[in-house]
Amino acid sequence: MELILWVVCFLIILALVASTFYQIVILTDLESDYINIYDTASRINRIIVPEFAVQGVLCAFFLVTWHWLMFLITVPLTCYNVMLFWKRQHLFDVTEAFRFLNAEKKLRFVKLGFYLVVFAIITFRLVLSAFIFLSDADDAMHLF
Amino acid sequence: MGTENPGRQQFPARPAATPFAAAPPQNMMPFSSSGPVVGSEASGFRPTPPAAPQPTVPSSMPVLGSEASGFRSLPPARFNDPSVPSPPTSNVPPPVGPFQRFPTPPFPSTAQAPLSRAPPMGQPLSQPPMGQPLAQPPAPPVSFRPQPQMPPVPMGSPPQSVNYASPNVNFPYPASDSTFPAPRPNFQPSFPGYVQMQSNADSPAPPIQSTFPAQQGGYAPPPVSSSSPFLAHQGGYFPPPPVAAPMGMQSQMQHLGSGPPIGSIQGLIEDFSSLSIGSVPGSIDPGIDPKALPRPLEGDVERKLFAEMYPLNCDPRYLRLTTSAIPNSQSLASRWHLPLGAVVCPLAEAPDGEEVPVVNFASSGIIRCRRCRTYVNPFVTFTDAGRKWRCNICSLLNDVPGEYFAHLDATGRRIDLDQRPELTKGSVEFVAPTEYMMRPPMPPVYFFLIDVSVSAVRSGMIESSLTQPQMMVVSDLDDIFVPLPDDLLVNLSESKSVVETFLDSLPSMFQDNLNVESAFGPALKAAYMVMVCMLTETLPIDKLYLEPTWGEMLIFQNTLPSLGVGRLKLRGDDLRVYGTDKEHILRLPEDPFYKQMAAELTKVQIAVNVYAFSDKYTDIASLGTLAKYTGGQVYYYPSFQSATHGDKLRKELTRDLTRETAWEAVMRIRCGKGVRFTSYHGNFMLRSTDLMALPAVDCDKAYAAQLSLEETLLTTQTVYFQVALLTCSKVVDVPVTINRYTASCGERRIRVHTAAAPVVADLGEMYRQADSGAIVSLFSRLAIEKTLSHKLEEARNSLQLRIVKALKEYRNLYAVQHRLGGRMIYPESLMFLPLYGLALCRSTPLRGGYADAPLDERCSAGYTMMALPVKKLLKLLYPSLIRLDEHLLKGSDLVDNFKNLEKRLPLAAENLDSRGLYLYDDGFRFIIWFGRVLSPDVAMNLLGADFAAELSKVNLYEHDNEMSRKLMRILEKFRENDQSYYQLCHLVRQGEQPREGFLLLSNLVEDQMGGANGYVDWILQIHRQVQQNP
Repeated sequence: MELILWVVCFLIILALVASTFYQIVILTDLESDYINIYDTASRINRIIVPEFAVQGVLCAFFLVTWHWLMFLITVPLTCYNVMLFWKRQHLFDVTEAFRFLNAEKKLRFVKLGFYLVVFAIITFRLVLSAFIFLSDADDAMHLF
Repeated sequence: MGTENPGRQQFPARPAATPFAAAPPQNMMPFSSSGPVVGSEASGFRPTPPAAPQPTVPSSMPVLGSEASGFRSLPPARFNDPSVPSPPTSNVPPPVGPFQRFPTPPFPSTAQAPLSRAPPMGQPLSQPPMGQPLAQPPAPPVSFRPQPQMPPVPMGSPPQSVNYASPNVNFPYPASDSTFPAPRPNFQPSFPGYVQMQSNADSPAPPIQSTFPAQQGGYAPPPVSSSSPFLAHQGGYFPPPPVAAPMGMQSQMQHLGSGPPIGSIQGLIEDFSSLSIGSVPGSIDPGIDPKALPRPLEGDVERKLFAEMYPLNCDPRYLRLTTSAIPNSQSLASRWHLPLGAVVCPLAEAPDGEEVPVVNFASSGIIRCRRCRTYVNPFVTFTDAGRKWRCNICSLLNDVPGEYFAHLDATGRRIDLDQRPELTKGSVEFVAPTEYMMRPPMPPVYFFLIDVSVSAVRSGMIESSLTQPQMMVVSDLDDIFVPLPDDLLVNLSESKSVVETFLDSLPSMFQDNLNVESAFGPALKAAYMVMVCMLTETLPIDKLYLEPTWGEMLIFQNTLPSLGVGRLKLRGDDLRVYGTDKEHILRLPEDPFYKQMAAELTKVQIAVNVYAFSDKYTDIASLGTLAKYTGGQVYYYPSFQSATHGDKLRKELTRDLTRETAWEAVMRIRCGKGVRFTSYHGNFMLRSTDLMALPAVDCDKAYAAQLSLEETLLTTQTVYFQVALLTCSKVVDVPVTINRYTASCGERRIRVHTAAAPVVADLGEMYRQADSGAIVSLFSRLAIEKTLSHKLEEARNSLQLRIVKALKEYRNLYAVQHRLGGRMIYPESLMFLPLYGLALCRSTPLRGGYADAPLDERCSAGYTMMALPVKKLLKLLYPSLIRLDEHLLKGSDLVDNFKNLEKRLPLAAENLDSRGLYLYDDGFRFIIWFGRVLSPDVAMNLLGADFAAELSKVNLYEHDNEMSRKLMRILEKFRENDQSYYQLCHLVRQGEQPREGFLLLSNLVEDQMGGANGYVDWILQIHRQVQQNP
């Protein structure tokens, strides 16, 4: 059971890391003029809402499975996302893109760092539970 | 080079007097003694061989001869410098040679008055008989004093003659000569050094020696190697040492000094201006004479000096730098507390005879730098017998295409220079060749979006609208059905009558309309779709989507959009919000829909002009966003009534549709290495880090940008700026490479403005070269932007703080050596800055709080001021106040009369005489103020039967009498001078409250009003803050 949970979490966090990384790459491209601003905005804005949703799901997942620690780690970001969404500030603003480019990048770097920490924890728990699962299986084998 | 600030301070301490004391005898010294010294002084010249011909010095005649033969010297006549009619003659008579021009007399006091070190500087100017101003750049000293660059070495020891000799050697004339030997008509005789310097800055610098035959005396100028243009250049900047002196000098002392020649006085006056503030503690009297305060009553006077120094620069009406002296280091830039940047008005209206020349490179293609894409301009230099040219911005050596090739003459300039406006004019327009075009130019599409809700009908707004093709009724708000564009958009010339009939029928169609709702958002979307379809239909099928096209959408909105997508709430003017952290949100667009729409419209090159009419809250903050990001404009007619405002709307709409407009434009400002434009302010959208997308741009719009230094220390001596107004051929994922702009006539052109500015190491110099108009323009944009994220008060405070910091920094420059006491000092160039700062704080977008201006007016004024060119902004900030009654009563001729009329009065109520009739003109409206005891005849003549009525309901029109006709002629004349907006007349009688208050009295910026400072208080406040220790 535990193992399945962690595998799912692992996949989710992997997706989040990838999405954030992708956004950073796009912003960097924009900065160095490899991509135009309209494409930047449409590409980023396309994945922002799914990212928020997935992040929310991850958070909810921890809550319903009583992983308090993980829930408390992820909930601040969820709240932040919800706040942005309510204020309708979650989307990348095409018109003022260059004024806020650095802030947007910084935000995403911080997010990336956060996701990586969560990723590390989840990986650890995944390995741990896999180990436990396997050793349990071993034990079970031995019991026979 | 490296010693910037310390260097400056050393100067006062330098024993500068010594050389002078010794001078008289040494004047006669042969060159041989001074030669080496000169070399050392001209630090820029590396080799500086002490040069052979020295022995010839005692008599200059031989020198001339030898020079003429030995060097590729130019005939002196080439510089049509009147003061150097014939060098030989000036040189010959006195056996002393070149030095003769500084006979002892000018230094009578050298011994006793060390201060008069300054003199030599100005002398050539002030003493024409001396005759060789060429060698001595008289002006530069005043304006350029990069003292740090002066090696202190020569100062102490060298014989005085060095000072004189040095200019000769220092000046990079050789190079410059070679580049531009011919006298440019615009060369200013008094600033030869500069002229040359700038032209030569980019000179290919083949080792060209010689030059001023006369002046060079016996010197063989050091060969200037190709890498040295800058060094030579730097030489050009060198003020002859004496110049440096006034810098650190005590002005008072100077005045007392033993009659220093004019030049030095000039220098002093330019040093700073001061205002004595002698407040007696405890007394109520502020100690300022209000009459002595500086006021820009002459309007915005352009500073000619700089234009003369760089005659090849584009006219300041196109590009104005906040300071014409670029700091050479980041630390220096950080001490300049004012904004560092430029205000660009690429399509400014040029007076007749000064139109921008059009250049057509038919076959060779437009000449641009391979690397940085800079367009060819007067500052590029040709080398290698004309086969190569060096880019002045990135200094890459480019090949000259075969068709463009021209031989260089002996001095290194192209022989075809006269036929090449792009090499002689700072502003040119290139015709884009066919390969720059994606498709043939199309006529622009105008789309009118008219609000027909009940309030619009009632106010008569519809009646006064002008032209409109067809009507589309958007019935289903969620799923917009777009009819075929062919049915909807018509060719104006073909179907003029249809349009007119439609327009006539429009009011009657909707006269029974009781619908109070406005479905603005859906209509906007539909209009957008129609325009895009229309545009794509004319294209081949494979380019159907998102092909850039151009057009203009004019939105006439009378009520708050209340239905469908983009509906807005009545959020405006909530008193409680003011003063809280949420205050600024009122000034931001409420719904992101508007920003997204604006981005979409910009993408397809449609500009939006918003005409808003409502007397109720219409949320201009949101609607204006459409104009802001599409390069459009907001026109706001509060409480529109067609009877009174009809004229204004008609004139402004006509202007909007008929002024010269460039469609589908993009603009980029390139600048030399080491500096970079980091932020842009105005009505446009940034498409990449430095590319402004302007679906429409015209003469009434200006854009501002701020500079920052990328390198800690700039090594170049000159920074070049090039504004290119162009359009991108296609928006794809590659950096834009092809650019053009489409003038209304349908031809694609690229307009290029180029300017150069010197790099300096001295803060004082930066302040001296400041341009307060450009600074105020940038300040206003920054402050308005700040109101979008902060409280009004914070925006005002930060503005004030920056002014205080700047003045404090400036004061610190002089405080050490001067006993400034209670005086407030400021550079002459920034004389009006405090006043404009005050006016800005009291302008509509920034003034007061809730009650001082309705939110819509605030926002629309903000959007307008973000786009205003410098001159118009200054006029709006400090409008003119003119007394009319005397002119009306006098029977004099109008022409003379009009000259007198330019006499502006300070904007204070004390200048309003109740017996007078005054005109207040801020460029957007006229306010005519009738004094209480104005003679009844005048009022009767001007107003006819209405003269006793309430003036708010009275329109001014021409009556059948001389006085009324005269007034109308005067007003017409003023309108002609400033056509961007139609100045509607508002009449107000003295004591007629509250109209007098908000129309006029609150705009008299020098008076205290409510919580706002008057001029005197403001100055005192600033002065106090300047004096406070940090």
